[in-house]
Amino acid sequence: MKKIKVTIMTLAILLSIGSAFATRMHFDSKPPLLYYWDGHEFLPAGTYGVDFVCVVSTTACTYTLVNGVYTPYQLGAYVAVDAHKPSKNK
Amino acid sequence: MLLLSSFHSGNIPFLQIAREVIAALLIMLFLYAGLSKWLDFRTFIGEMNNQPFPKGLIPFLVWAIPSLEITIVIALVIERTRMVGLYTSFVFMTLFTTYASAILLHFFAYIPCSCGGLIRRLSWRQHLVFNFFFVILSITGIILQHRKSSKTNLITKNSFV
Repeated sequence: MKKIKVTIMTLAILLSIGSAFATRMHFDSKPPLLYYWDGHEFLPAGTYGVDFVCVVSTTACTYTLVNGVYTPYQLGAYVAVDAHKPSKNK
Repeated sequence: MLLLSSFHSGNIPFLQIAREVIAALLIMLFLYAGLSKWLDFRTFIGEMNNQPFPKGLIPFLVWAIPSLEITIVIALVIERTRMVGLYTSFVFMTLFTTYASAILLHFFAYIPCSCGGLIRRLSWRQHLVFNFFFVILSITGIILQHRKSSKTNLITKNSFV
């Protein structure tokens, strides 16, 4: 029983450590430049979770520039995290 | 293979395996959740800022939540502290379930993002089902662990008679 217990525990620990690193790498892999619509123009959104978050909504929260066209990237409503919002310069 | 062959030969009781599997599932959940928060700490702080908690609590919570998750993992791995780990995970998952329910019932002024590693891809409704499953799992683990403890006590008592 002890062998089985050790096997189950080792598998559980290795799997969770592996998936934590794997998903982190996935989210870090070259994030595209994001923009948000402030009602008048598209502005740089900054980094998700640091400069802004997307609260649940059916509208587009951020956009990416694809072949010169702003394409919806994340769903939700754009909310700046703190006062240090990115500047208006693109 | 080892597990299956031993199980078929009837050497290992089903409940003993079930207890280990439940502990392993809870370990996977809390280790993954705790580690992914620390690995992407800046994002986690941003996500916590998005939650409807008093802003003064955030600096405490961003350290307390992942630390508690890893502490639960350690408690679940060590046999002597497993019961504490199971009770703590039950309380923790019940709190998360209550929070998800409160959000779905529009208890707060706005609906925050449902974030956290791979789990960030789940909606609040999916979160609720996911959390509820782990609440049930914790309760089952507590019952099985109690059974084991009472059995061990009975054997110890009988050996002295």
